[in-house]
Amino acid sequence: MREQREFTKKSGNWMEREARLAYFLLAPAIILIGGLILAPVTGTLFRSFYRDVTFLPPVKFIGLLNYKHLLTDVNFLQSIRFTVLFTLVAVFLETVIGLFFALVINEEFKLRGLMRAIVLIPWAIPTIISAKTWFLLYNYNYGLFNFLITKLHLSAKPINWLGTSYSAFFSIVMADVWKTAPFMAILFLAGLQSISKELYEAAEVDGASLTSQFTRITLPLLRPVLTIALIFRTIDSLRIFDLIYVLTGGGPGGATTSVSMYGFKLYILGDFGYGSTVSVVTFILVLLFTLIYLRFGRFGESL
Amino acid sequence: MQSKMKKMVVMFIITMLVLSVGLVGCKQTTQTPVIEKKTIVFAVGGAPSEVDYWHTVINKFETENPNIKVDLLLQPMDTETRMQTLVTPLSSKESTPDVFLMDVAWIGQFAASNWLAPLDDFVSKDNYDLSVFFKKTLDLADRYKGKLCALPVYIDAGLLYYRKDLLSKYGYNAPPATWDDLVKMAQKVQEGERKSNPNFWGYVWQGKQYEGLVCDFLEFIVSNGGNILDQDGNPVINSQNNVQAVTFMRDLIHKYKISPPNTYTEMTEEPVRTTFQSGNALFERNWPYAWGLHNADDSPVKGKVGIAPLPHFAGGESAATLGGWHIGMNIYSKNQDAAWQFIKFVESFDTEKGFAMNLGWNPGRQDVYSDPDVIAKAPYLKDLRTVFIGAVPRPVVPYYTKLSEVIQKYVNAAIAGTMDPKTALDKAQDEVKAIIAQYK
Repeated sequence: MREQREFTKKSGNWMEREARLAYFLLAPAIILIGGLILAPVTGTLFRSFYRDVTFLPPVKFIGLLNYKHLLTDVNFLQSIRFTVLFTLVAVFLETVIGLFFALVINEEFKLRGLMRAIVLIPWAIPTIISAKTWFLLYNYNYGLFNFLITKLHLSAKPINWLGTSYSAFFSIVMADVWKTAPFMAILFLAGLQSISKELYEAAEVDGASLTSQFTRITLPLLRPVLTIALIFRTIDSLRIFDLIYVLTGGGPGGATTSVSMYGFKLYILGDFGYGSTVSVVTFILVLLFTLIYLRFGRFGESL
Repeated sequence: MQSKMKKMVVMFIITMLVLSVGLVGCKQTTQTPVIEKKTIVFAVGGAPSEVDYWHTVINKFETENPNIKVDLLLQPMDTETRMQTLVTPLSSKESTPDVFLMDVAWIGQFAASNWLAPLDDFVSKDNYDLSVFFKKTLDLADRYKGKLCALPVYIDAGLLYYRKDLLSKYGYNAPPATWDDLVKMAQKVQEGERKSNPNFWGYVWQGKQYEGLVCDFLEFIVSNGGNILDQDGNPVINSQNNVQAVTFMRDLIHKYKISPPNTYTEMTEEPVRTTFQSGNALFERNWPYAWGLHNADDSPVKGKVGIAPLPHFAGGESAATLGGWHIGMNIYSKNQDAAWQFIKFVESFDTEKGFAMNLGWNPGRQDVYSDPDVIAKAPYLKDLRTVFIGAVPRPVVPYYTKLSEVIQKYVNAAIAGTMDPKTALDKAQDEVKAIIAQYK
């Protein structure tokens, strides 16, 4: 009895020491995360409750007034609508195309290594450069698309790709899908390779068709990767900035202004309070999407 | 054996690097106590050639003022990003950069935020002569609520470029004075030229949703007697004159078809310039920088280009939007006297002449325009001076960025044909009113 107590006491000490050491070792990471992520995020949250405009001193606490203003701000609502719609369409296409690519390069064939490398190239190009390239492809006078269209007599007149809100929308989606479908493909490929081949062999023995192999084995086992990939891409798409900045500048007529662009312009203006409010709402939007994915991906279970 | 050699070489290189860093450090520490040097930070960006030239200016300044050291804080090329790199330190009351260049459109916001040191005291202390600058620019763009906040380093104004050879080929002997003339000439020449060149357009200008569109818009409306704000600062965006002018802008693309459909999607300064320079346009609206490029040796239109003030509507007067960059001082700067020395040096006749000679900039000082060397190098500058004297600044208000955003959006929608000009300007008027209510 006594011995045992002594032992627990000892082990308690030991545990404490261990815990202290653990915290000590974790400290740099905690300080880094706290200083670089937590502090700015809470700072932004606090600022959103203030009227903080550089040319209208002093800084004043105004509670939820910025948020109230946001609800009636047509430009903001338009940018939210555009951003969400863009995210839904772009991420859906990227997932489908990325999955298709992944299935192809998962098969064994000659030059598979080369194909895998080629697929990744668009992802490796900095967005600002690929955006400029797409801008040239869409060019009205010298662009490749209009060249092909007129050469193949598909349309008598060249098309003004970025000229209407619909065509500008799909032009942006196309450029984004081209760049990020490869990213999805690589993530999915990693997921596919972790699925044991024996499962497929067993399925074949049982006479399962290719379709049911895909829906019963591939998709369910790919779900964790799918969830992560969707979260990554959705967060990225909701913050889209550079592609639009180059391709349309938010035009025509403000139809393709994203939330990030709207926030950026407010910061440029020197309205840090209202700009922070836009950032906070973007954050909430991203959080919502992530929660939905986690719920549907049943992420907790599969881990 | 080989890997050992490699290791030794690497070690040697690292040792040398460490030593050299140490030595440089020593050199600096031993030098400073001799003379008490003041260091100012000067923030500037732009094309590589421009940055190179700023280095030359700084070197010259440092030789003439051995007790002041100027650190160049390099900014990006993009105007909006340049603005952001100033807004961040200034809004957190940093003492550096001490001196910086500003686009003329920012001065209102910067001055209202109380970031710019008023220069009036320095001017009166030194008996500094302000009459060398363009008076209208100084009064309308550089003064905020009576205080002198900046000085023009170089100025820009919108101009009409035209093809001399094509005008005379079709029997015209002068560039158009009114917009109606421009349409008539452009239609005739375009019809004739299209036979041999299907890509030919009558008139190219800046219409993409961006700041440049506001400049073009201002020129159209002011040349029809309109404006963005009236003299008391109230918005008059949806005035009859403005609606007329914007309808005309739209008609250039959709009715007269003398401006290409990509005007409202792609046309910024450079696409406009390259379209004209490759021989695909009769008229072009652009800033003075295009002149040098149009007449470069590899330009297909070299020697065939003329410049004129932009046309006006019947009963109106020609208008050019004032652009360009101005120099200002950080109000939190700890070395304001040294900063003022540097500003004076940048604005001196010799430096300003250097800008004109080396970079093709249009100096903020008027006296440079009559310098024989400058005239020999850039004969067109003499004509430009009259345009600069009357150049119209964009509204100098603290919320200009926001105002500009609204105008860009609605004028772009109007010329894209997605919104009727009257509706677009009505909406712009309402939004600008709301902005003023929010930020005044």
